[in-house]
Amino acid sequence: MAGQPDLGRADLVTMLAELHARPAAEVPDRIGSMELAWLVHLVEQRYDRQLDLTDDQLAGIRTVDDALVVFRTSLTAPADG
Amino acid sequence: MLFAGRSSDVCLSLPDPVDRATLRRLVTAAQERLTAAGLRSGGAVALRLPPSLAYVVNLLATWRAGGQAILLDHRLTDHEVDRALERLTPQVVVAPVRTGGGALRVFVDVTEGVTPYADRPAVSGHAVIQLSSGSTGPSKVIGRTAADLVAEVHRYTRIDGVALPGERIVLLPSMVHVLGLVGGLLYGLHAGVELVPPQRLSGDAVLAAIAAADSPATVLGVPFHIGLVTATRPDGPLPQFRRMTTGGELVPAAVARAFTDRFGVPLGNMYGMTEVGVIGTDLHGRHRPSITPAPGIEVREVGGELHVSCPASPYVGLTDPTRWSAGWLHTRDAGTVDPDTGLVTVRGRLDSQVSVGGMKVDLTEVETTVAELTGVAAAVVVWDNGITAYVQPDGPLSEEALDTLLAERLAGYKRPRTLHLLDQLPRTTTGKLVRSVDALRTAATP
Repeated sequence: MAGQPDLGRADLVTMLAELHARPAAEVPDRIGSMELAWLVHLVEQRYDRQLDLTDDQLAGIRTVDDALVVFRTSLTAPADG
Repeated sequence: MLFAGRSSDVCLSLPDPVDRATLRRLVTAAQERLTAAGLRSGGAVALRLPPSLAYVVNLLATWRAGGQAILLDHRLTDHEVDRALERLTPQVVVAPVRTGGGALRVFVDVTEGVTPYADRPAVSGHAVIQLSSGSTGPSKVIGRTAADLVAEVHRYTRIDGVALPGERIVLLPSMVHVLGLVGGLLYGLHAGVELVPPQRLSGDAVLAAIAAADSPATVLGVPFHIGLVTATRPDGPLPQFRRMTTGGELVPAAVARAFTDRFGVPLGNMYGMTEVGVIGTDLHGRHRPSITPAPGIEVREVGGELHVSCPASPYVGLTDPTRWSAGWLHTRDAGTVDPDTGLVTVRGRLDSQVSVGGMKVDLTEVETTVAELTGVAAAVVVWDNGITAYVQPDGPLSEEALDTLLAERLAGYKRPRTLHLLDQLPRTTTGKLVRSVDALRTAATP
Protein backbone atom coordinates (compact mmCIF):
# COMPACT_ATOMS: atom_id res chain seq x y z
CA MET A 1 0.00 0.00 0.00
CA ALA A 2 2.46 2.58 -1.26
CA GLY A 3 4.65 2.78 1.83
CA GLN A 4 1.72 3.47 4.14
CA PRO A 5 0.88 1.10 7.00
CA ASP A 6 -2.21 -1.06 6.52
CA LEU A 7 -5.49 0.69 7.02
CA GLY A 8 -7.00 -0.22 10.38
CA ARG A 9 -10.33 0.35 12.08
CA ALA A 10 -8.71 2.85 14.45
CA ASP A 11 -7.63 4.95 11.46
CA LEU A 12 -11.21 5.24 10.24
CA VAL A 13 -12.48 6.04 13.72
CA THR A 14 -9.85 8.78 14.03
CA MET A 15 -10.96 10.24 10.70
CA LEU A 16 -14.61 10.25 11.80
CA ALA A 17 -13.66 11.80 15.14
CA GLU A 18 -12.00 14.63 13.19
CA LEU A 19 -15.12 15.13 11.05
CA HIS A 20 -17.43 15.39 14.03
CA ALA A 21 -14.90 17.08 16.33
CA ARG A 22 -15.47 14.61 19.14
CA PRO A 23 -13.39 11.97 20.95
CA ALA A 24 -12.78 8.70 19.08
CA ALA A 25 -14.54 6.80 21.87
CA GLU A 26 -17.78 8.61 21.00
CA VAL A 27 -17.76 7.86 17.28
CA PRO A 28 -20.83 5.75 16.46
CA ASP A 29 -20.40 2.53 14.55
CA ARG A 30 -23.08 3.37 11.95
CA ILE A 31 -22.11 5.70 9.14
CA GLY A 32 -24.12 7.56 6.54
CA SER A 33 -23.31 8.87 3.09
CA MET A 34 -21.65 12.02 4.42
CA GLU A 35 -19.29 10.08 6.70
CA LEU A 36 -18.58 7.70 3.86
CA ALA A 37 -17.62 10.50 1.48
CA TRP A 38 -15.34 11.88 4.17
CA LEU A 39 -13.64 8.52 4.74
CA VAL A 40 -13.15 7.87 1.02
CA HIS A 41 -11.63 11.33 0.65
CA LEU A 42 -9.17 10.91 3.53
CA VAL A 43 -8.21 7.34 2.59
CA GLU A 44 -7.55 8.49 -0.98
CA GLN A 45 -5.39 11.35 0.33
CA ARG A 46 -3.46 9.02 2.59
CA TYR A 47 -2.69 6.48 -0.13
CA ASP A 48 -2.50 9.07 -2.90
CA ARG A 49 -4.79 7.12 -5.21
CA GLN A 50 -8.43 7.03 -6.14
CA LEU A 51 -10.46 4.16 -4.71
CA ASP A 52 -12.28 2.45 -7.52
CA LEU A 53 -15.60 1.85 -5.76
CA THR A 54 -18.96 0.96 -7.23
CA ASP A 55 -22.36 2.29 -6.18
CA ASP A 56 -23.26 -1.19 -4.96
CA GLN A 57 -20.16 -1.40 -2.80
CA LEU A 58 -20.95 1.95 -1.20
CA ALA A 59 -24.63 1.14 -0.77
CA GLY A 60 -23.70 -1.98 1.20
CA ILE A 61 -21.68 -0.02 3.77
CA ARG A 62 -23.60 0.59 6.98
CA THR A 63 -20.84 0.53 9.61
CA VAL A 64 -17.20 1.42 10.12
CA ASP A 65 -16.32 -2.28 9.84
CA ASP A 66 -18.17 -2.58 6.50
CA ALA A 67 -16.22 0.42 5.21
CA LEU A 68 -12.91 -1.07 6.34
CA VAL A 69 -13.54 -4.29 4.39
CA VAL A 70 -14.46 -2.39 1.20
CA PHE A 71 -11.52 0.03 1.46
CA ARG A 72 -9.02 -2.78 2.12
CA THR A 73 -10.31 -4.72 -0.88
CA SER A 74 -9.99 -1.66 -3.07
CA LEU A 75 -6.51 -0.78 -1.76
CA THR A 76 -5.14 -4.24 -2.43
CA ALA A 77 -6.40 -4.15 -6.03
CA PRO A 78 -3.76 -3.05 -8.58
CA ALA A 79 -3.55 0.76 -8.56
CA ASP A 80 -3.51 1.05 -12.31
CA GLY A 81 -6.61 -1.08 -12.63
CA MET B 1 -36.77 33.99 -17.44
CA LEU B 2 -34.80 30.74 -17.69
CA PHE B 3 -34.53 30.07 -21.41
CA ALA B 4 -33.58 33.55 -22.59
CA GLY B 5 -30.03 34.01 -23.83
CA ARG B 6 -27.78 32.92 -26.65
CA SER B 7 -28.31 29.37 -27.92
CA SER B 8 -24.59 28.71 -27.69
CA ASP B 9 -24.28 29.72 -24.02
CA VAL B 10 -23.20 26.77 -21.90
CA CYS B 11 -25.65 26.19 -19.02
CA LEU B 12 -24.19 23.03 -17.54
CA SER B 13 -20.81 21.28 -17.70
CA LEU B 14 -21.29 17.58 -16.93
CA PRO B 15 -18.39 17.80 -17.89
CA ASP B 16 -19.58 17.74 -21.51
CA PRO B 17 -21.11 21.15 -22.13
CA VAL B 18 -24.89 21.45 -22.38
CA ASP B 19 -25.76 24.68 -24.17
CA ARG B 20 -29.07 26.51 -24.14
CA ALA B 21 -30.12 25.15 -27.56
CA THR B 22 -29.53 21.57 -26.38
CA LEU B 23 -31.40 22.23 -23.15
CA ARG B 24 -34.39 23.69 -25.04
CA ARG B 25 -34.46 20.66 -27.33
CA LEU B 26 -34.31 18.19 -24.42
CA VAL B 27 -37.03 20.07 -22.54
CA THR B 28 -39.34 20.04 -25.57
CA ALA B 29 -38.91 16.28 -25.93
CA ALA B 30 -39.49 15.71 -22.21
CA GLN B 31 -42.61 17.87 -22.31
CA GLU B 32 -44.02 15.65 -25.05
CA ARG B 33 -43.32 12.53 -22.94
CA LEU B 34 -44.96 14.04 -19.84
CA THR B 35 -48.02 15.12 -21.82
CA ALA B 36 -48.29 11.71 -23.45
CA ALA B 37 -48.24 10.13 -19.97
CA GLY B 38 -51.18 12.25 -18.85
CA LEU B 39 -49.85 15.61 -17.65
CA ARG B 40 -52.29 18.47 -18.24
CA SER B 41 -51.89 22.15 -17.40
CA GLY B 42 -52.77 22.47 -13.70
CA GLY B 43 -51.68 18.91 -12.97
CA ALA B 44 -48.58 17.81 -11.09
CA VAL B 45 -45.48 15.77 -11.84
CA ALA B 46 -43.59 14.00 -9.07
CA LEU B 47 -39.85 14.01 -9.76
CA ARG B 48 -38.12 11.23 -7.85
CA LEU B 49 -34.75 11.76 -9.43
CA PRO B 50 -31.23 12.25 -8.15
CA PRO B 51 -29.43 15.40 -9.31
CA SER B 52 -29.04 14.76 -13.03
CA LEU B 53 -29.64 16.27 -16.43
CA ALA B 54 -32.89 14.23 -16.47
CA TYR B 55 -33.99 16.06 -13.31
CA VAL B 56 -33.24 19.51 -14.77
CA VAL B 57 -34.95 18.71 -18.06
CA ASN B 58 -38.10 17.19 -16.53
CA LEU B 59 -38.43 20.02 -14.01
CA LEU B 60 -38.30 22.65 -16.74
CA ALA B 61 -40.61 20.58 -18.98
CA THR B 62 -43.16 20.32 -16.15
CA TRP B 63 -43.27 24.09 -15.75
CA ARG B 64 -43.40 24.68 -19.47
CA ALA B 65 -46.45 22.40 -19.65
CA GLY B 66 -48.16 24.48 -16.95
CA GLY B 67 -47.65 21.80 -14.33
CA GLN B 68 -46.59 21.69 -10.69
CA ALA B 69 -43.33 19.94 -9.83
CA ILE B 70 -43.30 17.80 -6.69
CA LEU B 71 -39.65 17.36 -5.74
CA LEU B 72 -38.95 14.09 -3.92
CA ASP B 73 -35.43 13.53 -2.65
CA HIS B 74 -34.17 10.34 -4.30
CA ARG B 75 -32.95 9.07 -0.93
CA LEU B 76 -36.49 8.83 0.44
CA THR B 77 -37.70 5.27 0.93
CA ASP B 78 -40.63 3.74 -0.99
CA HIS B 79 -42.64 4.09 2.20
CA GLU B 80 -41.99 7.83 2.42
CA VAL B 81 -42.60 8.35 -1.30
CA ASP B 82 -45.87 6.39 -1.29
CA ARG B 83 -47.20 8.53 1.55
CA ALA B 84 -46.26 11.70 -0.35
CA LEU B 85 -47.83 10.53 -3.62
CA GLU B 86 -51.10 9.62 -1.88
CA ARG B 87 -51.32 13.14 -0.47
CA LEU B 88 -50.18 15.04 -3.54
CA THR B 89 -51.82 13.01 -6.36
CA PRO B 90 -49.49 13.81 -9.27
CA GLN B 91 -50.69 12.94 -12.76
CA VAL B 92 -47.25 11.60 -13.63
CA VAL B 93 -44.26 10.20 -11.72
CA VAL B 94 -40.76 10.43 -13.17
CA ALA B 95 -38.22 8.05 -11.64
CA PRO B 96 -34.97 6.45 -12.79
CA VAL B 97 -35.09 3.24 -14.78
CA ARG B 98 -31.32 3.10 -14.78
CA THR B 99 -28.64 5.16 -13.04
CA GLY B 100 -24.95 5.08 -13.61
CA GLY B 101 -21.75 7.02 -13.51
CA GLY B 102 -20.01 5.47 -10.50
CA ALA B 103 -19.85 5.93 -6.78
CA LEU B 104 -19.98 9.27 -4.94
CA ARG B 105 -21.28 11.08 -7.98
CA VAL B 106 -22.70 14.55 -7.39
CA PHE B 107 -24.50 14.46 -10.73
CA VAL B 108 -25.77 11.10 -11.91
CA ASP B 109 -26.39 9.63 -15.37
CA VAL B 110 -30.07 8.79 -15.37
CA THR B 111 -32.39 7.15 -17.84
CA GLU B 112 -35.81 8.13 -16.61
CA GLY B 113 -39.15 6.36 -16.79
CA VAL B 114 -42.40 8.34 -16.98
CA THR B 115 -45.43 6.68 -15.36
CA PRO B 116 -49.06 7.86 -15.15
CA TYR B 117 -50.24 8.05 -11.52
CA ALA B 118 -53.55 9.86 -10.89
CA ASP B 119 -55.99 11.78 -13.02
CA ARG B 120 -56.47 14.74 -10.73
CA PRO B 121 -55.40 18.40 -10.72
CA ALA B 122 -52.55 19.52 -8.47
CA VAL B 123 -53.46 20.00 -4.80
CA SER B 124 -52.48 23.68 -4.99
CA GLY B 125 -51.49 26.38 -7.46
CA HIS B 126 -47.82 26.29 -6.44
CA ALA B 127 -45.10 25.77 -9.07
CA VAL B 128 -43.02 23.66 -6.72
CA ILE B 129 -43.88 21.38 -3.83
CA GLN B 130 -41.14 20.31 -1.46
CA LEU B 131 -41.26 18.10 1.60
CA SER B 132 -39.62 19.01 4.85
CA SER B 133 -39.14 16.69 7.79
CA GLY B 134 -42.20 17.27 9.96
CA SER B 135 -42.61 17.83 13.68
CA THR B 136 -45.87 15.88 13.78
CA GLY B 137 -44.52 12.73 12.15
CA PRO B 138 -45.43 13.03 8.45
CA SER B 139 -43.49 15.44 6.26
CA LYS B 140 -44.52 19.07 6.02
CA VAL B 141 -45.69 20.00 2.52
CA ILE B 142 -44.25 23.32 1.40
CA GLY B 143 -45.32 25.14 -1.75
CA ARG B 144 -43.63 27.95 -3.65
CA THR B 145 -45.47 29.91 -6.33
CA ALA B 146 -43.89 30.82 -9.65
CA ALA B 147 -43.96 34.49 -8.63
CA ASP B 148 -42.21 33.64 -5.36
CA LEU B 149 -39.46 31.69 -7.15
CA VAL B 150 -39.00 34.53 -9.66
CA ALA B 151 -38.74 36.99 -6.78
CA GLU B 152 -36.08 34.84 -5.13
CA VAL B 153 -34.03 34.60 -8.33
CA HIS B 154 -34.20 38.41 -8.60
CA ARG B 155 -33.15 38.66 -4.97
CA TYR B 156 -30.00 36.72 -5.83
CA THR B 157 -29.19 39.11 -8.68
CA ARG B 158 -29.13 41.97 -6.16
CA ILE B 159 -26.85 40.30 -3.60
CA ASP B 160 -23.23 41.45 -3.63
CA GLY B 161 -20.90 38.47 -3.93
CA VAL B 162 -22.93 36.00 -6.01
CA ALA B 163 -21.42 34.52 -9.17
CA LEU B 164 -21.81 36.94 -12.09
CA PRO B 165 -22.85 36.32 -15.71
CA GLY B 166 -20.05 34.49 -17.52
CA GLU B 167 -18.73 33.00 -14.29
CA ARG B 168 -19.18 29.47 -12.93
CA ILE B 169 -20.81 27.87 -9.90
CA VAL B 170 -19.27 24.61 -8.74
CA LEU B 171 -22.49 23.11 -7.46
CA LEU B 172 -22.44 20.65 -4.56
CA PRO B 173 -25.88 20.83 -2.89
CA SER B 174 -28.73 18.81 -4.35
CA MET B 175 -30.89 20.75 -6.82
CA VAL B 176 -33.92 19.11 -5.22
CA HIS B 177 -33.49 21.39 -2.21
CA VAL B 178 -33.81 25.14 -2.09
CA LEU B 179 -30.15 26.22 -2.04
CA GLY B 180 -29.15 24.10 -5.04
CA LEU B 181 -32.48 24.62 -6.81
CA VAL B 182 -32.80 28.40 -6.67
CA GLY B 183 -29.30 29.56 -5.66
CA GLY B 184 -27.73 27.17 -8.16
CA LEU B 185 -29.95 25.98 -10.99
CA LEU B 186 -32.54 28.74 -11.43
CA TYR B 187 -30.20 31.64 -10.70
CA GLY B 188 -27.55 30.11 -12.96
CA LEU B 189 -29.95 29.65 -15.88
CA HIS B 190 -31.36 33.15 -15.45
CA ALA B 191 -28.08 34.99 -14.98
CA GLY B 192 -26.00 33.08 -17.52
CA VAL B 193 -23.79 31.44 -14.91
CA GLU B 194 -22.43 28.03 -15.90
CA LEU B 195 -23.24 25.24 -13.44
CA VAL B 196 -20.41 22.80 -12.88
CA PRO B 197 -21.05 19.81 -10.65
CA PRO B 198 -17.74 18.19 -9.67
CA GLN B 199 -17.14 14.72 -11.08
CA ARG B 200 -17.54 13.18 -7.65
CA LEU B 201 -17.95 14.17 -4.03
CA SER B 202 -14.32 14.69 -3.04
CA GLY B 203 -12.08 17.63 -2.34
CA ASP B 204 -9.86 16.79 -5.32
CA ALA B 205 -12.85 16.79 -7.67
CA VAL B 206 -14.02 20.18 -6.39
CA LEU B 207 -10.60 21.71 -6.96
CA ALA B 208 -10.40 20.03 -10.38
CA ALA B 209 -13.76 21.56 -11.31
CA ILE B 210 -12.50 25.01 -10.29
CA ALA B 211 -9.34 24.53 -12.35
CA ALA B 212 -11.17 23.17 -15.41
CA ALA B 213 -11.74 26.61 -16.97
CA ASP B 214 -10.33 30.11 -16.75
CA SER B 215 -13.52 31.90 -15.69
CA PRO B 216 -14.07 32.78 -12.02
CA ALA B 217 -15.65 30.01 -9.95
CA THR B 218 -17.77 30.10 -6.81
CA VAL B 219 -18.19 26.86 -4.87
CA LEU B 220 -21.69 26.45 -3.47
CA GLY B 221 -22.14 23.87 -0.73
CA VAL B 222 -23.04 23.08 2.86
CA PRO B 223 -20.61 23.21 5.81
CA PHE B 224 -19.58 19.56 5.39
CA HIS B 225 -18.14 20.47 1.99
CA ILE B 226 -15.85 23.10 3.57
CA GLY B 227 -14.09 20.31 5.46
CA LEU B 228 -13.70 18.23 2.31
CA VAL B 229 -12.18 21.10 0.37
CA THR B 230 -9.97 22.29 3.22
CA ALA B 231 -8.61 18.76 3.70
CA THR B 232 -7.29 18.89 0.12
CA ARG B 233 -3.98 20.41 -0.87
CA PRO B 234 -4.21 22.10 -4.28
CA ASP B 235 -1.59 21.05 -6.84
CA GLY B 236 -0.95 24.66 -7.76
CA PRO B 237 -2.43 28.14 -7.58
CA LEU B 238 -6.16 28.46 -8.25
CA PRO B 239 -6.60 32.05 -9.44
CA GLN B 240 -10.14 31.22 -10.66
CA PHE B 241 -11.32 30.38 -7.14
CA ARG B 242 -13.37 33.41 -6.07
CA ARG B 243 -15.34 32.27 -3.11
CA MET B 244 -17.02 29.40 -1.32
CA THR B 245 -20.53 29.94 -0.02
CA THR B 246 -22.41 27.58 2.24
CA GLY B 247 -25.90 27.40 3.68
CA GLY B 248 -27.78 24.91 5.76
CA GLU B 249 -26.23 25.34 9.17
CA LEU B 250 -23.75 27.40 11.14
CA VAL B 251 -20.07 26.98 10.39
CA PRO B 252 -17.73 26.63 13.38
CA ALA B 253 -15.23 29.50 13.53
CA ALA B 254 -12.24 27.11 13.41
CA VAL B 255 -13.53 25.52 10.19
CA ALA B 256 -13.97 28.93 8.58
CA ARG B 257 -10.46 29.98 9.62
CA ALA B 258 -8.88 26.78 8.29
CA PHE B 259 -10.56 27.36 4.94
CA THR B 260 -9.51 30.98 4.53
CA ASP B 261 -5.97 30.17 5.72
CA ARG B 262 -5.67 27.54 3.01
CA PHE B 263 -7.27 29.29 0.06
CA GLY B 264 -7.19 33.00 0.88
CA VAL B 265 -10.64 33.60 -0.60
CA PRO B 266 -13.84 34.60 1.23
CA LEU B 267 -16.03 31.97 2.84
CA GLY B 268 -19.58 33.24 2.45
CA ASN B 269 -22.49 32.30 4.62
CA MET B 270 -26.18 32.07 3.71
CA TYR B 271 -29.30 31.64 5.76
CA GLY B 272 -32.45 30.37 4.12
CA MET B 273 -35.41 28.07 4.48
CA THR B 274 -37.33 25.82 2.13
CA GLU B 275 -40.41 27.98 2.81
CA VAL B 276 -38.97 31.29 1.52
CA GLY B 277 -35.57 30.55 0.00
CA VAL B 278 -32.65 32.84 0.75
CA ILE B 279 -33.29 35.06 3.78
CA GLY B 280 -29.91 36.65 4.33
CA THR B 281 -26.26 36.42 3.41
CA ASP B 282 -22.74 37.32 4.44
CA LEU B 283 -20.95 36.42 1.23
CA HIS B 284 -17.75 38.25 2.15
CA GLY B 285 -17.52 36.47 5.49
CA ARG B 286 -17.20 39.81 7.30
CA HIS B 287 -19.96 39.42 9.86
CA ARG B 288 -19.78 35.72 10.70
CA PRO B 289 -21.95 34.32 12.16
CA SER B 290 -24.37 37.21 11.41
CA ILE B 291 -26.03 37.85 8.06
CA THR B 292 -27.63 40.81 6.30
CA PRO B 293 -31.24 40.31 5.19
CA ALA B 294 -31.51 39.78 1.42
CA PRO B 295 -33.05 42.62 -0.63
CA GLY B 296 -36.81 42.70 -0.10
CA ILE B 297 -36.71 40.43 2.95
CA GLU B 298 -37.55 41.68 6.42
CA VAL B 299 -36.48 39.85 9.55
CA ARG B 300 -37.70 40.63 13.06
CA GLU B 301 -37.27 39.06 16.44
CA VAL B 302 -40.38 38.15 18.40
CA GLY B 303 -39.83 36.71 21.86
CA GLY B 304 -36.41 35.37 20.89
CA GLU B 305 -37.65 33.75 17.65
CA LEU B 306 -36.81 35.06 14.19
CA HIS B 307 -39.78 35.90 11.97
CA VAL B 308 -39.32 36.46 8.23
CA SER B 309 -41.61 38.40 5.90
CA CYS B 310 -43.57 35.96 3.73
CA PRO B 311 -46.76 37.34 2.16
CA ALA B 312 -48.67 34.04 1.89
CA SER B 313 -48.53 30.85 3.91
CA PRO B 314 -46.16 28.42 2.19
CA TYR B 315 -47.84 25.39 3.75
CA VAL B 316 -50.20 23.20 1.81
CA GLY B 317 -53.19 22.02 3.77
CA LEU B 318 -54.12 23.39 7.16
CA THR B 319 -52.10 26.42 8.14
CA ASP B 320 -50.62 26.33 11.59
CA PRO B 321 -50.68 29.89 13.05
CA THR B 322 -47.61 29.07 15.13
CA ARG B 323 -45.66 28.60 11.87
CA TRP B 324 -47.07 31.38 9.72
CA SER B 325 -49.40 34.25 10.51
CA ALA B 326 -50.27 37.64 9.02
CA GLY B 327 -47.47 37.77 6.47
CA TRP B 328 -44.71 36.44 8.74
CA LEU B 329 -43.05 33.06 8.77
CA HIS B 330 -42.12 31.91 12.26
CA THR B 331 -38.76 30.29 11.62
CA ARG B 332 -38.42 28.41 14.94
CA ASP B 333 -34.85 29.64 14.84
CA ALA B 334 -33.69 31.46 17.94
CA GLY B 335 -31.95 34.69 17.04
CA THR B 336 -31.52 38.41 17.34
CA VAL B 337 -31.71 41.40 15.01
CA ASP B 338 -29.30 44.25 15.74
CA PRO B 339 -31.42 47.43 15.84
CA ASP B 340 -28.56 49.61 14.54
CA THR B 341 -27.03 47.50 11.76
CA GLY B 342 -29.96 45.21 10.93
CA LEU B 343 -27.59 42.24 11.13
CA VAL B 344 -29.33 38.98 12.00
CA THR B 345 -27.69 36.38 14.21
CA VAL B 346 -29.12 32.88 14.23
CA ARG B 347 -28.51 31.07 17.51
CA GLY B 348 -29.98 27.62 16.94
CA ARG B 349 -33.29 25.81 16.77
CA LEU B 350 -36.18 26.27 19.16
CA ASP B 351 -37.69 22.91 18.23
CA SER B 352 -36.53 19.36 17.59
CA GLN B 353 -35.14 20.01 14.10
CA VAL B 354 -31.48 19.21 13.46
CA SER B 355 -29.27 19.49 10.42
CA VAL B 356 -27.47 16.44 9.02
CA GLY B 357 -25.02 17.50 6.34
CA GLY B 358 -27.27 20.45 5.49
CA MET B 359 -30.43 18.31 5.38
CA LYS B 360 -33.09 19.24 7.91
CA VAL B 361 -34.34 16.39 10.02
CA ASP B 362 -37.04 16.69 12.66
CA LEU B 363 -36.26 14.32 15.51
CA THR B 364 -39.99 13.99 16.15
CA GLU B 365 -40.44 12.37 12.74
CA VAL B 366 -37.64 9.90 13.53
CA GLU B 367 -39.02 9.19 17.00
CA THR B 368 -42.57 8.66 15.72
CA THR B 369 -41.29 6.27 13.06
CA VAL B 370 -39.22 4.25 15.55
CA ALA B 371 -42.02 4.15 18.12
CA GLU B 372 -44.54 2.88 15.54
CA LEU B 373 -42.40 -0.12 14.55
CA THR B 374 -43.62 -3.58 15.40
CA GLY B 375 -41.70 -4.85 18.42
CA VAL B 376 -41.09 -1.39 19.90
CA ALA B 377 -42.86 -0.44 23.13
CA ALA B 378 -41.44 3.07 23.44
CA ALA B 379 -38.67 5.20 21.97
CA VAL B 380 -36.88 8.48 22.59
CA VAL B 381 -34.76 10.07 19.86
CA VAL B 382 -32.34 12.83 20.78
CA TRP B 383 -29.39 14.65 19.26
CA ASP B 384 -26.20 13.57 20.98
CA ASN B 385 -23.50 14.52 18.48
CA GLY B 386 -25.68 12.66 15.98
CA ILE B 387 -29.19 11.20 15.86
CA THR B 388 -29.40 8.77 18.78
CA ALA B 389 -32.32 6.47 19.51
CA TYR B 390 -33.11 4.83 22.85
CA VAL B 391 -35.56 2.00 22.29
CA GLN B 392 -37.57 -0.13 24.68
CA PRO B 393 -38.62 -3.33 22.87
CA ASP B 394 -41.81 -5.16 23.79
CA GLY B 395 -40.29 -8.57 23.04
CA PRO B 396 -37.19 -9.98 21.42
CA LEU B 397 -35.71 -7.35 19.11
CA SER B 398 -32.15 -7.11 17.84
CA GLU B 399 -30.37 -3.94 16.74
CA GLU B 400 -29.98 -5.49 13.33
CA ALA B 401 -33.71 -6.15 12.97
CA LEU B 402 -34.43 -2.59 14.09
CA ASP B 403 -31.93 -1.26 11.56
CA THR B 404 -33.57 -3.21 8.76
CA LEU B 405 -37.06 -2.00 9.68
CA LEU B 406 -35.88 1.60 9.82
CA ALA B 407 -34.11 1.31 6.48
CA GLU B 408 -37.50 0.53 4.92
CA ARG B 409 -39.13 3.59 6.42
CA LEU B 410 -36.61 6.41 6.76
CA ALA B 411 -34.15 7.90 4.29
CA GLY B 412 -30.54 7.24 5.32
CA TYR B 413 -29.79 10.77 6.51
CA LYS B 414 -32.74 10.59 8.93
CA ARG B 415 -31.78 7.27 10.50
CA PRO B 416 -30.19 7.08 13.98
CA ARG B 417 -26.42 6.68 13.96
CA THR B 418 -26.53 5.17 17.45
CA LEU B 419 -29.17 2.75 18.74
CA HIS B 420 -29.52 1.74 22.37
CA LEU B 421 -31.90 -1.06 23.30
CA LEU B 422 -33.00 -0.77 26.94
CA ASP B 423 -35.27 -3.03 28.98
CA GLN B 424 -36.83 0.07 30.43
CA LEU B 425 -36.53 3.66 29.24
CA PRO B 426 -36.06 6.20 32.03
CA ARG B 427 -39.32 7.90 33.01
CA THR B 428 -40.32 10.70 35.34
CA THR B 429 -42.33 9.96 38.48
CA THR B 430 -45.47 10.73 36.48
CA GLY B 431 -44.48 8.19 33.82
CA LYS B 432 -43.32 10.57 31.08
CA LEU B 433 -40.33 9.58 29.00
CA VAL B 434 -37.14 11.36 30.05
CA ARG B 435 -35.44 13.29 27.24
CA SER B 436 -32.32 14.54 29.00
CA VAL B 437 -29.27 13.35 27.07
CA ASP B 438 -27.30 12.85 30.29
CA ALA B 439 -30.04 10.74 31.91
CA LEU B 440 -30.41 8.64 28.75
CA ARG B 441 -26.64 8.10 28.51
CA THR B 442 -26.58 6.99 32.15
CA ALA B 443 -29.48 4.60 31.59
CA ALA B 444 -27.65 3.04 28.64
CA THR B 445 -24.40 2.57 30.56
CA PRO B 446 -24.13 -1.05 31.75
